[in-house]
Amino acid sequence: MIKLRREQWFGFTIMALIVIPVVALTPWSNLLDAHLSKDDLGVLGLLMLALIVVAIMLGFPTAFTLMGMGVFFAWLAYRSVNPKLAVNQVLDLFVQRTYGVMSNDVLIAIPLFLFMGYLVERAQLIDRLFKSLHLATARVPGSLAVATIVTCAIFATATGIVGAVVTLMGLLAFPAMLKAGYNVKVSAGAVTAGGCLGILIPPSVLLIVYGATAGVSVVQLYAGAFLPGFMLAFLYIGYVIVLAKWKPDLMPPLSAEEQRVPLPERLQALAAAGSGVLATLSRALAGRGVPGVPRRTVLMQFFVTLLPALAIVAVIGTAYRLSTAPEAQASAGSLVEAGGALAADTGETEQSGLIGAEPAEPEQAQQAAPVEEQRAPASEKTEAAPEAKAERVPAGPFFYAVLAIGLAALLLIYWLWNWERLEVFKLLLTSFFPLALLILAVLGSIVVGLATPAEAAAVGAFGGFILAGIYRFIAHWRERAQSGASSGEVISRTLKEFVRIIKESSFLTAKTSAMVCWLFVGSGIFSAAFALLGGQELIEKWVLSLNMTPLQFMILAQFIIFILGWPLEWTEIIIIFMPIFIPLLPHFNIDPLFFGLLVALNLQTAFLSPPVAMAAFYLKGVSPPHVTLNQIFAGMMPFMGIQIIALVLLYTFPQIGLWLPSVFYGK
Amino acid sequence: MQKTLLFVDRVSTWVGQAFSFCIVLLTLHVSWEVFSRYALDNPRAWAFDGMIMLYGTLFMMAGAYTLSKNGHVRGDVLYGFFEPRTQATIDLILYIVFFIPGVFALTYAGYYYAADSWRILETSNITAEGPPIYPFKTVIPFAGGILFLQGIVEIIRCVICLKQGSWPSREQDVEEVDVEKLKEELHVKDEDIEKLDVYVTKGKPQ
Repeated sequence: MIKLRREQWFGFTIMALIVIPVVALTPWSNLLDAHLSKDDLGVLGLLMLALIVVAIMLGFPTAFTLMGMGVFFAWLAYRSVNPKLAVNQVLDLFVQRTYGVMSNDVLIAIPLFLFMGYLVERAQLIDRLFKSLHLATARVPGSLAVATIVTCAIFATATGIVGAVVTLMGLLAFPAMLKAGYNVKVSAGAVTAGGCLGILIPPSVLLIVYGATAGVSVVQLYAGAFLPGFMLAFLYIGYVIVLAKWKPDLMPPLSAEEQRVPLPERLQALAAAGSGVLATLSRALAGRGVPGVPRRTVLMQFFVTLLPALAIVAVIGTAYRLSTAPEAQASAGSLVEAGGALAADTGETEQSGLIGAEPAEPEQAQQAAPVEEQRAPASEKTEAAPEAKAERVPAGPFFYAVLAIGLAALLLIYWLWNWERLEVFKLLLTSFFPLALLILAVLGSIVVGLATPAEAAAVGAFGGFILAGIYRFIAHWRERAQSGASSGEVISRTLKEFVRIIKESSFLTAKTSAMVCWLFVGSGIFSAAFALLGGQELIEKWVLSLNMTPLQFMILAQFIIFILGWPLEWTEIIIIFMPIFIPLLPHFNIDPLFFGLLVALNLQTAFLSPPVAMAAFYLKGVSPPHVTLNQIFAGMMPFMGIQIIALVLLYTFPQIGLWLPSVFYGK
Repeated sequence: MQKTLLFVDRVSTWVGQAFSFCIVLLTLHVSWEVFSRYALDNPRAWAFDGMIMLYGTLFMMAGAYTLSKNGHVRGDVLYGFFEPRTQATIDLILYIVFFIPGVFALTYAGYYYAADSWRILETSNITAEGPPIYPFKTVIPFAGGILFLQGIVEIIRCVICLKQGSWPSREQDVEEVDVEKLKEELHVKDEDIEKLDVYVTKGKPQ
């Protein structure tokens, strides 16, 4: 009657393998008359763990499975001590655990980062981002795949929503790559692997959940995950470039026609006046100007051209301040603090560039807010400065190194600068830099200690408001040319959409944070029951009796986590199973921070490993009918291999992850 | 029957959505606090309590809303392959075995927990003279109660599904990945995607 598929047979076999020993080992007789010895309780704890795996596989919402089981087993544990008080004790324990989750100061950051992600996603800047990065990388081998990975990395980092990023890139980059004659597998691999980067690169929700579960500082986790995340992205890009060089038929280079950057009319007129950008612009400014090009435009281009110079001068200036500052100030902390302040500065100039490009008064009101917001970290810096003025030391080699590099960069930039590059730079200015700045400002303020993760997340969400507002306004403003709406209508349309964006984002945030945090509520009582039963002790005794070396233990642990990634979501793995691994770590002298980084990298692979790889299904949903799931899986394989290489690299050279935390926090 | 179910759905949704605006308040509250601390040098003592309360209320009150949209994370390995009737049987049993006792315990315990707090008009002890905390603790029994109600509706859904062999409908809501909306956003049409097949099948025998 009921036909079972292979997967079902497999699943049921596993379940049976778990349930049968559970039934056999349960101390039934003692259980019924409530005379459980300590050993019996420990066994019960392990049985509870086995049962939860089965129950989760049955597909019932995990939070409530944990709750029901936790309450029941906690009651069993209490009953074995004092049957009369058991019910009250369980209830007290449960409600206190719940309140603990409600007042957890680490978990607050989760809804805020989610909110920021949903807002940024709804700002709809991904096609601009992809277009500008694609033009910027046009001459690199495998340029479209490289642009795809970079776009994914930036966008996934800012939003953290794997499904949306893969779907969007599947609609945007995948067709572009196919049209350019790219191999289907390579294209699919680039989209899916890139989309999963957001899980690892901070600010990622996974690291917050790990931090809250393992009691590791989220700040240190963020500092630690930064380099491994970027290492992975660079490995992906390196792989794509090497592959494109090695087998050009997989990723044919773009034709000269496609490499050319389309210049707008006014820029074409300017370009006709002379090929040197700086010279032509200054001549146009000083003299009568160029026919057909308003002075405003010339001024604007001139300003944009000068931006890199301004940025470099700002860096050199900061370096001078730092290197001449008294000893105590010149710590690594203030170094990066200055970096944060610098980011805020460039943020201001960059945003004013945006206004100039789209003359719009009502926007200015909105703009004033972010500038103030970003000034917040900057002003702290200036407050600290007066003390520094006391004794300035002569500039050291550090300053001269920065000066030399800065000047060299300046020369190189303006030597290479041409009209096309100016256009690409302008495109990047309105897509890549705002996102990069948002991420850097959020991360920078966390790592340097200006703000807690929750505070930085809130400011990031506020930045998301502004980003969404500005980008939607610009989009409506551009549509005005077609629809002929008045500026009042444009504003009212933007406002309407803005309200809708906030509503949708709030609803999604509420649902997703309820999903994660109720899981914590369930696991609160569940892990308490596990501890009461003494299951942890039993596991510890057993693991120690195996006499493993730290390396063996590490490999075993990572392997178990990898396997668990097949039936379970990462939230469940971390919230339910990490509390079992973490107490074992000190026995093997493993830093929980380092373990967390490995787990994060490992769980990332779970998103790419068939048959459950979510990313593949999202891509399949929007790809042409003849692209098969198997092709997508095959495309993901090399990237999975790179992830494993990254995992090995991180294990062999722990400094990749631990260097930044040690610089900042002396760990 | 379907009407009653949808009514309870709507109540859960309304409550969850109403409280979801806590996130907007939370964002503004914290952003202002950061600004006022660094720029105005004027931190507010109750800021942290405010943060905790907004966050806790947000996710607790959204529990039933999430359940009504089938949004709580579940192990999808086998469940997705089951017939609707099998799914309903499993869900029905587990709702009664796990959900009802668990959520009832939470609501019951939460009621007395909040009542104790009201009796002494408890204030937060994070700072001296902290803000009152009893309204916040009241969130537990409220959230639990709504969740319990929604759970009963879900149980009835399971029974209906067992009878008619298919899941009764739910009301639509915003989704994290809404493919149709994303297509519209990027101006991609289904025909465009199908046209791409040329590139996929190019050079291969059909």
